[in-house]
Amino acid sequence: MSKTASAPHRFNKSGLSLEKAIKFFFASNAGLTIVILVLIIVFLLKEGLGFFPGYRRELEIYRIAGLEFVDLSRQNLTTHEQLASVLNRAYYAEINGKCARELKRSREAAALFNAFSDQTTATRDLILNNLTAGIDPDSEMLATLRKNHAANVQKALAKLPPTPHLTLTERTALIDSLRSRDVTAKDDPPLVATLTEQYAAAQQVQAKPLAGLRATIDAFEATGSDLSTLVSEMTTAVTATKESLQNADILEKDRKTLLAAAARAKDPAERARLMADAQASLAEQADIDGPMQSLMLRKPTCIEAHNALRQTSSEILTQLPTALSQPEAERLLRAARKAAPVFLTTLGQAPGQISQWRHDTRVPLSAAIRSFLTGKDWVTGGEWQDFYGILPLLVGSLMISMVALCLAIPAGVGAAIYINQFASGHEQSLVKPVIEFIQAIPSVVLGFIGILVFGSVLRDLSQLDSLAWVPGFPIEERLNIFTAGCLLALMSIPTIFSLAEDALNNVPSAYSEASDALGASRIQTSFRVVIPAAFSGILAAVLLGLGRVIGETMVVLLVAGNRIKIPDFSSGIGAFLQPSHTLTGIIAQELGEVPLGSVHYRALFVVGILLFTIVLGINATAHKFVSRTQH
Amino acid sequence: MVNHLANIADPLPPAIRIDRLCFAYQAKPALHGVTLDLPARQVTAFIGPSGCGKTTLLRCFNRINDRIPGARITGGSIHIHGIDINRPDIDLQELRRRVGMVFQKYNPFPKSIYENVVYSLRLSGIRKRSQLDESAEAALRSAALWDEVKDRLHSSAMGLSGGQQQRLCIARAIVSQPDILLMDEPCAALDPIATLKIEELLHQLKEQFTIVIVTHNMAQATRCADHTAFMYLGKLVEFGPTLQIFQTPHDPQTLAYVTGSFG
Repeated sequence: MSKTASAPHRFNKSGLSLEKAIKFFFASNAGLTIVILVLIIVFLLKEGLGFFPGYRRELEIYRIAGLEFVDLSRQNLTTHEQLASVLNRAYYAEINGKCARELKRSREAAALFNAFSDQTTATRDLILNNLTAGIDPDSEMLATLRKNHAANVQKALAKLPPTPHLTLTERTALIDSLRSRDVTAKDDPPLVATLTEQYAAAQQVQAKPLAGLRATIDAFEATGSDLSTLVSEMTTAVTATKESLQNADILEKDRKTLLAAAARAKDPAERARLMADAQASLAEQADIDGPMQSLMLRKPTCIEAHNALRQTSSEILTQLPTALSQPEAERLLRAARKAAPVFLTTLGQAPGQISQWRHDTRVPLSAAIRSFLTGKDWVTGGEWQDFYGILPLLVGSLMISMVALCLAIPAGVGAAIYINQFASGHEQSLVKPVIEFIQAIPSVVLGFIGILVFGSVLRDLSQLDSLAWVPGFPIEERLNIFTAGCLLALMSIPTIFSLAEDALNNVPSAYSEASDALGASRIQTSFRVVIPAAFSGILAAVLLGLGRVIGETMVVLLVAGNRIKIPDFSSGIGAFLQPSHTLTGIIAQELGEVPLGSVHYRALFVVGILLFTIVLGINATAHKFVSRTQH
Repeated sequence: MVNHLANIADPLPPAIRIDRLCFAYQAKPALHGVTLDLPARQVTAFIGPSGCGKTTLLRCFNRINDRIPGARITGGSIHIHGIDINRPDIDLQELRRRVGMVFQKYNPFPKSIYENVVYSLRLSGIRKRSQLDESAEAALRSAALWDEVKDRLHSSAMGLSGGQQQRLCIARAIVSQPDILLMDEPCAALDPIATLKIEELLHQLKEQFTIVIVTHNMAQATRCADHTAFMYLGKLVEFGPTLQIFQTPHDPQTLAYVTGSFG
């Protein structure tokens, strides 16, 4: 034995080195993915966690410069303006609702005229330019231009938008007037002008019985003027204080950098120069006490203005009519009547808040965290104050996901059940690849299909008279939560379908055989045995679909409308037809433009961490369900 | 053939009458003209080497073979209580309620014990709690399982032992009072003690049901079956009372098989 151990033999190990190398290659690949994941997490945390102290300092400046004090009044002023705007909208909705026929006729005629003008301006302008340049009106060139223009007019007249509220005679007359329209004519065609006049006249007639409401609204709008003046005066003062505080911060940061550099410098001369620079950038203490004192002196005026506003508002708001005839106007009026007492209560609390406010209350770190997690405003790059509250983004993401899942679960799971349980082999081989093909569509392509086809069709549909009963219709924005949700549903259907189909496929055939042998019909076997047995797998499929939906960026960036605002739930389901922004979209949109290392930059990283955590949580839960099915 | 011997011993009309049955999986024939009458209220065992068609024959009786694409009866007929079960107007669900089946590998649903037992009652739309409870208890008692599970009826059936799960499957198959019970190697996946319990159970069950059992275990056939059919290569070789098949077989192939010369 000892002889053969040293000498080369049949089982010599030398041949294994290649095997080892291959093994090492695969092991290192697997290791690399883990290392990268760890690096990503470390990087996210390193960049993100600096956010909270930075944001805390911003909130501190917000307080000690007095911006917070001004906002106490400004918020109420904003509510006042919003209330006034709702009332105005109710007023105009009432009038326009009553002269809806005139409005539509006027709009349709104008739309037809505009469509015609859009298509004929090019050739018309050519002729006009030549005429003003003094070309002989009978020249050959002008004749050619006129001929081109005439051809263009014919083409434009061939495709005009529909005018369902104009009579055929009116439409023919309008088209005739357009056909014979002189190139130099600047006035609207007679019918358009007449209809505009009719509309204006109808508005005036309808406004008469509403004169009382108009006066009330005007009076209400006027009550805010005192507070408004006060706020704008205070704004100028505190903005200056804030700027000097920020400058001091920047200088202080510079000084620290210089001192650190000086400590590292080896050359004594260099060190001395850096030290001198550091001394020079020693910030003079920003003067906050002086402006603050004068701001505090305004407290009584402020309180007085609030009390006055509350007094007059409560008197005026009682004069609002109890009902309006048009449904939209009625809805707005009801919203205003509901908001009014809330507004008055907040006004009542304002004097207390104002007198208690102190600029030297400490801002704890928890306040920054709370402001981030529960803040209703995501305001960046503004002149006043930046706020990083993720609530509008989170709500947007959740609402879009909700729409997507509401559509994708029935479609994906339903298709999986059908294909797995009921479809013939032929149908299976047709449907499965088609559904999986959807996954291959790049999301940016899906995004512009969403904008151009789906969004536009939805908006056009919403403007049909016969669909006016749908809540939220007619929609103003073609890019909204619903559109984005529909597209995301389309994207997540393949995921949900494939995984749910797998889950159904994994149910042992012994179950369905036993069920069949007990006299169950096909449907009974599916719904009583197979689907319940696959339930946790289907749930996992749905969760993984949700993970995909929440993490999707391109489609929501293109289609969700990107308005950073919590949707207005007062219109019920209509809230889903409003534009919104999302956690993913905000990162994609803003990260390219923020200064490196700024609080804003770090805020985006925290959003990234949050997103990462959400998706990780969803996937971990899904994984749990999957492993439950397998055992 | 020796069928007449069985008929003499049996006063009841045959439960299943098989006449020149041919069966094929797509192009591959599995049964070639099997003719056989199965006596009612008795246990009949099908024996034979693997692939001889005994399971295929058994699975024809409740037409569970219909699940397999391309599998079909190519000739002959099966009559159960005088009705040709291969007619196109047969209500398969009703047929399978009358002809229960227990599979080789115990396969309770991933539900509670109770829900497993009352499954076929729920299928036929019975909702009354008292009726379900009563039938479930009766079926579990018949399957000799009641005493072992009565305190945990609503816990998962997956927590039972293999033998218990198989008896649960038997209870599930007999709860709707079928006439015929088909058993496809019911003890193949069980240990000897659990096997013994099932065999004891067979003796009680044949009072109520006509039982057809496929088995690889010849000792089991001698212990449980009143009649035995020996099949080979898709044909019925010999059918008769069990003792006769095992002690004085008429056919040399049967003799070779029961003495262990092949198979």
